[in-house]
Amino acid sequence: MKTSDLIDLLATGAGPSPRAVAMRRLVPVLVLGALASAAAALAVRGPIPATLFATPAPWVKLAYAGALAGGAAWLAARLGRPIARTSGPVRMLLLVVVAMVLLGTLTLLAAPAGERLETMLGHSWARCPINVLTLSLPALAGALWALRGLAPTRPRAAGLAAGLLAGALGALGYALSCTEVSPAFIAIWYSLGIGLAGTLGAALGPRILRW
Amino acid sequence: MTPEPPADDFEAGLRPLWARAQAGDEGAYRESLQRIAGRLRTFLRRRMQSLPDDVEDLVQETLLAIHLQRGTYDPEVPVDRWALAIARHKLIDLWRRRGRREALNDPLDALPEADQPAVWEELPVQRDLETLLARLPEAQQQAIALIKLEGLSVAEASQRTGVTASALKVRVHRGLKRLAELVRKA
Repeated sequence: MKTSDLIDLLATGAGPSPRAVAMRRLVPVLVLGALASAAAALAVRGPIPATLFATPAPWVKLAYAGALAGGAAWLAARLGRPIARTSGPVRMLLLVVVAMVLLGTLTLLAAPAGERLETMLGHSWARCPINVLTLSLPALAGALWALRGLAPTRPRAAGLAAGLLAGALGALGYALSCTEVSPAFIAIWYSLGIGLAGTLGAALGPRILRW
Repeated sequence: MTPEPPADDFEAGLRPLWARAQAGDEGAYRESLQRIAGRLRTFLRRRMQSLPDDVEDLVQETLLAIHLQRGTYDPEVPVDRWALAIARHKLIDLWRRRGRREALNDPLDALPEADQPAVWEELPVQRDLETLLARLPEAQQQAIALIKLEGLSVAEASQRTGVTASALKVRVHRGLKRLAELVRKA
């Protein structure tokens, strides 16, 4: 087939360009990924006592994970385009992390010197990042699928965005079954779990995001 | 924000045409794709001096990708940069498939991309898209034949086949996506 015939074929009956292609693929991932993560956390580990919701701890976790999920989804949507303008979403993600680290540092400084290590480690520091990573896996599969249908030309960066998005959704679900209360704990171990998911996404990106 | 290079004649001519094409103007879309094809040929020929016989095939593969991904066009970005980014991606993909390890070498001559004349005459192709089209599932083939080759409107094609309009549109889109996959594997 000649190229001019191919152009005719493509143009004939083409109609207007589809709109909001990135959001149409990413919004279902956000919703289903959050549901999968929450359902798995509640089913396997059970919910936190309802009284905890009267304290700031679960809300800090949900706000942190939610803001990161929003920023990472924005970043992923941008990286799904051939020429990606990433500065806006990257700035938002950094801002959220810096705010969380600041909050964690402040609570650490407010704690008596002898209790600081305990505040940081809580009772579940060793399990938290792994649990966040595990809960993020369904969302990671979904986010990579979503990006594969778009046009990412920086597969490692796009994979990283997919991983961060999935990690944030994993953390969102984990927050419902995690009884840790210190913002310092959240700033360290939640971030580490989300970072692990991001690393996994970045490693998978070049292999999966081919088109 | 990515710094925008100074607008050149090619982009200045293409941009309004592309805006109309994105809004659904079929003639403007055809004309845009023709102009982009000329630009792609120059871009790829300069970078594929060791694979001259594959240039036109990659032009076609890139055009197919541009069509399937036209929803990812970002109005903040010049159209030609967007199209060439897709071409570059396809070129890297081709080299990886061929097992070449070398990095994407940009040509050494100093002429910027915008000053390169577009190449209008088509080069011979190795791979025939028609034979690949024949390998699509029957239903997708039929939808593409009626709407894309015979030029029936979706409504007319729907009347003739008894298939709903939305199902036909999905079949055309899936068929072209499948075609792009076959092209990568061919």
